[in-house]
Amino acid sequence: MTTYTICVFTENSIGLLNKITIVFTRRRVNIESLTVSETERKGISRFTIVIKEESREKVEKMVRQIRKIVEVLAVFGYLNDEIAFNEIALFKVPTPAGAKRLDIETINKIYKAWVVYWGLDYVVIEKTGSEEDIFDFFNYIKPHGILEFVRSGRVAVSKSAKSLGDYLPEAEWEYYL
Amino acid sequence: MERNEANILTLDGMEPEVRIETNALMNGSHAVIRSLIAEGVDTIFGYPGGAIMPVYDAIYDYQDQISHILVRHEQGAGHAAEGFARLSGKVGVCLVTSGPGATNLVTAVADAIIDSTPLVCVVGQVSKHLLGTDAFQETDVIGVTMPITKWNYQITSADEVPEIMAKAFYIAKSGRPGPVLIDITKNAQTEMMSKPFNYTFCHKLLGYHPRLIPKVDQIQKAADVINQAKKPFLVFGHGIKIAGAEKELLELIEKTGIPCASTLLGLSSVPVNHPLYAGWLGMHGNYSTNRLTNECDVLIGIGLRFDDRVTGDVTRYAKQAKVVHIEIDPAEIDKVVKAEAPVVGDAKEALKMLIPLLNVSAHDEWIAQFKALDAEEEACITVPELAPTTEKIKMAEVIRMLSDKTKGEAVIVADVGQHQMVTARYYEFKRNNSFITSGGLGTMGYALPAAFGAKVGDPSREVVAIIGDGCFQMTLQELGTIAQSGLPVKAIILNNNFLGMVRQWQQLFFEKRYSFVELQNPDFITIAKGFGIAGHTCAHRDNLSDSLDAMLSSDKPYLLEVLVEKEENVFPMVPSGACVSEIRLK
Repeated sequence: MTTYTICVFTENSIGLLNKITIVFTRRRVNIESLTVSETERKGISRFTIVIKEESREKVEKMVRQIRKIVEVLAVFGYLNDEIAFNEIALFKVPTPAGAKRLDIETINKIYKAWVVYWGLDYVVIEKTGSEEDIFDFFNYIKPHGILEFVRSGRVAVSKSAKSLGDYLPEAEWEYYL
Repeated sequence: MERNEANILTLDGMEPEVRIETNALMNGSHAVIRSLIAEGVDTIFGYPGGAIMPVYDAIYDYQDQISHILVRHEQGAGHAAEGFARLSGKVGVCLVTSGPGATNLVTAVADAIIDSTPLVCVVGQVSKHLLGTDAFQETDVIGVTMPITKWNYQITSADEVPEIMAKAFYIAKSGRPGPVLIDITKNAQTEMMSKPFNYTFCHKLLGYHPRLIPKVDQIQKAADVINQAKKPFLVFGHGIKIAGAEKELLELIEKTGIPCASTLLGLSSVPVNHPLYAGWLGMHGNYSTNRLTNECDVLIGIGLRFDDRVTGDVTRYAKQAKVVHIEIDPAEIDKVVKAEAPVVGDAKEALKMLIPLLNVSAHDEWIAQFKALDAEEEACITVPELAPTTEKIKMAEVIRMLSDKTKGEAVIVADVGQHQMVTARYYEFKRNNSFITSGGLGTMGYALPAAFGAKVGDPSREVVAIIGDGCFQMTLQELGTIAQSGLPVKAIILNNNFLGMVRQWQQLFFEKRYSFVELQNPDFITIAKGFGIAGHTCAHRDNLSDSLDAMLSSDKPYLLEVLVEKEENVFPMVPSGACVSEIRLK
């Protein structure tokens, strides 16, 4: 299985998420992670969708079918080495009296993770990194017990030097095949 | 990734911004009708109901400009609009209510998307404040139709109406045509617009740029591949009709001497008696065209999507050939068949650019191969089918006699099943844009309403529906619509008291276990008479000619029932899972 990251630029309109996910549903492809946010251009949203799929051809066909949706402005499919990507994870870890102390120095220096909230008998630790980094830290912190764990899903930008404006110029909208 | 200057120039150059300005303040319903009139719509197929009543009230004021046809079931409205669109080339418009009205329309919408038919469906919806509350006759129609529309949108305020309607028509008819569904809440129908009604035609959208003019380098590559071919074979589909590229297609084959074949939906784009027309393709297509698909060295596909009923086992489909694929929808390129030379663009524009680059050529030996296989098919199937010795009439002889009597120039609307395949095989199309059928979705019950819609779309043409006894009972209530309109739509029921195609498969692939395929039918002619439509039954070969004459000479709607052989099979046939060259003659 190869991991593909599909970036979709769209108009910001109601129901579009559904229109896009239908393309995956019809081909029985599971979405591993999904994030949506507004881009640097007002009114334009960016979807980052991560899937695992064996056939590159199938991914290309899905990219073209997503491109067909009227409100979709551009679609790009990437392999991992073509993008810079990361995600954020939050861990809620119990710190009751008498429990094994958290080694904050290791957490900070080795795992590059930070405590972002101190509760009375728990802390919330934020860890940014690749899926692998996050699971390394997960395994490290697991003996302390994990009350809650959440990942943001991948965000990614391409390694090409182009800007969004190169693909979606203000004045004229390009055709992308 | 590159700029596409030609496309932008064409879009800008072809349709400058056009506006219709008025000082009229009106409600959303009037705005809907005024928008339709602005788009040149003269016919709507529809059915009223609670959530669309304000729009129906508005139509009442515009009856001199727009004709509304009351169908008997919303599915009929959808198919009639499809038939209308397919024959007239205009956008078919449906108007139905929320909930069941909308869900009844769904089959036709699904049919329209797969057969690239432009529809604008305006659907009533409960008021905005009731959305999501399971209100009376509320269905999430946007959700339901998302995968089967080219675009859909929910209008919740009157001010949105003109802009959204303009967008709907532009999307429905441009590029690869398809159905657009507009869900309009009742409050948007009744409330007044906050400004006068202005209508700006849409010819450009942010993310939607159908490419009409192909890239020059793609055309050059295609020409190079075709010019080097020793055994080229051209297959064309619905895209030829949609683009109106019949003349260019003839020019291409005549210049290059390339034999061509049609998909089911492409039929009638090249006259059957043309020396370079080799026949049609697919599961029940001709023997030569299927066999030689797997022998050609270059396969040129124009305006088709290589449906599985055309390709059979795709892993053994034309593997020896280089494929040139000319298609307006980029998502169809490489979807089924990998193209050596893809060309994205409108078929007519592509052919106009391609023809000058092609060498004058002839392929007599190659064509002789087609003729040799044609002779086998003729001897084995066509001759016995057309001169049967059976007591009962065979479907083929009905169709061929109809073909002769109408000189191959009628508009034939076939339903779905054996009779559809027989019609495609034995009607000798001589005039362009003469065949309408549900190809992609295979919607039983399509033909009667679609034939009616086609007749509305072009009353000057003779329209004959060919319908099976099973199909007829799916939409026969539309006899009421036909009777009310008085339009002389002709329908032939080929009655074998069976769901014939399913029965054929059960015979061939399920050891003759005839599981629920035999029909105890009503007296169709009595039913027709109940609707006020004349008709009669033809049971014997001797009466067939007179029966067809009686039907064709009537200036009113007419239903002819022909009792045909109960258990006949359609051949040739590419069995399911086989490859095209494994086509069976029996």
